[in-house]
Amino acid sequence: MRRVAGVQGLAPWGLFFAAFGIFPLVYALALSFLAYNPLRPDLVRWVGFDNYVRALQSPSFWHALRTTVVFVVGTLPVTLTLAYIVSGLLAGVRRGQGFFRAAIFFPATLSMVVISLVFKSLYAEEGLLNGWLAAMGLSRVHWLQDPALALPSIMLMDIWASVGYYAILILAARKTLPDEQLEAARLEGLTRVQIERRIVLPHVRPVLLFVVLLNTIRSFQIFIEVFVLTRGGPLESTLTLVYHLYERAFYHFEMGYASALAYLLLLVVGAILLLQRRVLGGGSMEARAR
Amino acid sequence: MGEASIERGSATRKAGLRGHRVRRAVVLSVAFISFALASGCAKSSNNVIVFWQFSPIAAIQPVLERFESQHPGVKVQVEQLTWQSGREKIVAAIAAGRPPDLCELGSTFLPGLVADSTLIDLTDRVGDLRAELVGWNVSSYKGRVYGIPWMLGTRALFVNDNLVNEAKMSAGEPILTWGDLRAKVQAISERCPGARGFGMNAGEREILFKKFMPFAWGNGGDILDSTMTKSVMGSPQNIEALQFYLSLKPYSLLDRQEMHEQAFIKGRLGVVISGPWLIRKLAQEAPKLVYSVQLMPKPARDKGTHASFAGAEVLGIFRGSKKKDAALELARFLVKPENTMPVYIATGNAFPAAVSVGTDPYFDRYPQDARFLDQLKTAVGPPLHPKWVQIEEIVNGELEEAIYGKKTAEEALRSADQRIDAVLAAP
Repeated sequence: MRRVAGVQGLAPWGLFFAAFGIFPLVYALALSFLAYNPLRPDLVRWVGFDNYVRALQSPSFWHALRTTVVFVVGTLPVTLTLAYIVSGLLAGVRRGQGFFRAAIFFPATLSMVVISLVFKSLYAEEGLLNGWLAAMGLSRVHWLQDPALALPSIMLMDIWASVGYYAILILAARKTLPDEQLEAARLEGLTRVQIERRIVLPHVRPVLLFVVLLNTIRSFQIFIEVFVLTRGGPLESTLTLVYHLYERAFYHFEMGYASALAYLLLLVVGAILLLQRRVLGGGSMEARAR
Repeated sequence: MGEASIERGSATRKAGLRGHRVRRAVVLSVAFISFALASGCAKSSNNVIVFWQFSPIAAIQPVLERFESQHPGVKVQVEQLTWQSGREKIVAAIAAGRPPDLCELGSTFLPGLVADSTLIDLTDRVGDLRAELVGWNVSSYKGRVYGIPWMLGTRALFVNDNLVNEAKMSAGEPILTWGDLRAKVQAISERCPGARGFGMNAGEREILFKKFMPFAWGNGGDILDSTMTKSVMGSPQNIEALQFYLSLKPYSLLDRQEMHEQAFIKGRLGVVISGPWLIRKLAQEAPKLVYSVQLMPKPARDKGTHASFAGAEVLGIFRGSKKKDAALELARFLVKPENTMPVYIATGNAFPAAVSVGTDPYFDRYPQDARFLDQLKTAVGPPLHPKWVQIEEIVNGELEEAIYGKKTAEEALRSADQRIDAVLAAP
């Protein structure tokens, strides 16, 4: 009876998940084997693995993948390290911790479109950052117009937008550490660094792994930032995989090819997540959970 | 037995009650979804024309209300698209088999729709409008008409006369030629501290051809030949134009269009290529700025034309439209000058395609706006070719390489030539 009630309770969610989760996933997989222009559905035809082969032979695909990987590799360690440090600083705050937690979490409450628009103004030739540089007697920087700086500028923005959220997650894991354990460590004469390394870090490791996985997935999906700030330019220096996919789907109407790109992205992310779990010790997290 | 039985009974009742609540929740969810879907379906009732366009609703609504009052029983359901995401929305609607009955389409988006036979051929139904409107070349392909010109947009030179004077150049003499333009932007850049001479677009590849091609068109160049089967991007005229354009780079602010306009408003940019919307912005944000709107320069006094980019917003009817006749009736109503002028006055973005608006007293009162009407006479639109999206991507990409110094003007345009020819040759 309880099981039946449980199933019924899940029904509304299941309905939505099937309609907006499972169905698009299966539909996109089917599309990836078709030559499909949404404006000419009458001309749809089966092409087998041609879309996948074409993607793997396309320099644009490899360029976009490389740019995306650079973005992930450039943001993930910095975000994780800063989030860990900030969580430690927050844990040490005795007065006004609520205010600091709210302040550090604030960017996570904003839409990425809003954040991108704010940074678009900050990075402008006549923007605030260049105003500061000019006031200090330094020359202006073409943050988003210089092909060498455009991607790092987006990465910087992404790190700023993400650190607070992950810091709060890690802080929550820190809070579950019994005070007695920390007190005992101090009585045994462990330094602050030793306590962090031997006690805190192993304790929050499952959450760190979760943060790594979450941030990896998010970073591989980077789109809004590129769409608002650079549209893949200049000189395709910010052409990420999802933006490339978007262009193929909505400018060239190659929905089948774009779907194949999406599935290739899924495979890449899946493989990296498996690798991360293995290297960073997903097993220990499961053991802890049990 | 008694207490255990009572507990079991109570538990069963509670479970039953929970089950009842859950079932009620499921029923309500399904009812809500059905209602939402039914509401969506109700949109396409018989007397409603669904019209998607890009102007603010407040600007278009009074015109539509007039249409409704002249057509009792007919309702127009208008929706505003954005230039950022309108394209995706239209594609999604067509793919879902539920396109709007009438839709405003930009000239750069039109070729793809024509290529895919998404729009109906209007040639035989708009013959009487041919003499009343301009811009048919932008909405025609192989002699057939696929959209009714509604609004026409173009770009002209905005010149900061204060900076021109400060640079010890005569603000009274207009920029007529490429030489005049270079002399003024160079002088402003060199003699006005904190100011740049010219706004050269960078970091937004998608609009580069609109900024460069006016120089090429004015010099007798083009993108495709007259048969539209071969690229002429590598022509000497185009190369000469790009070499001139790149010669402005040392005196230019390299940034996106909106940043150019901001710099112009702040009085830190001498010359910017922009559209009529900047007139409104300047009136609001820099009422004291002394500036002039001038025609795009031609190569020399005795050579070329004052060409500019012509963008048209046309009204198209999709094959999937449920009310094609009513949509055409609405389109014919909208393109009348008395219905387009209020939209232009309210938005200031693009000019009515109606020939007769040239004599509208509004333009006597606002000579800066009238300058754009003059500019429209020599403006050129992109070719309405089925593969325009690919061609545009190539042109923009090669221009970007030239602007960033990765290729010379000649290398970039010859490369564009070869790549476009390859696209044209492909099935």
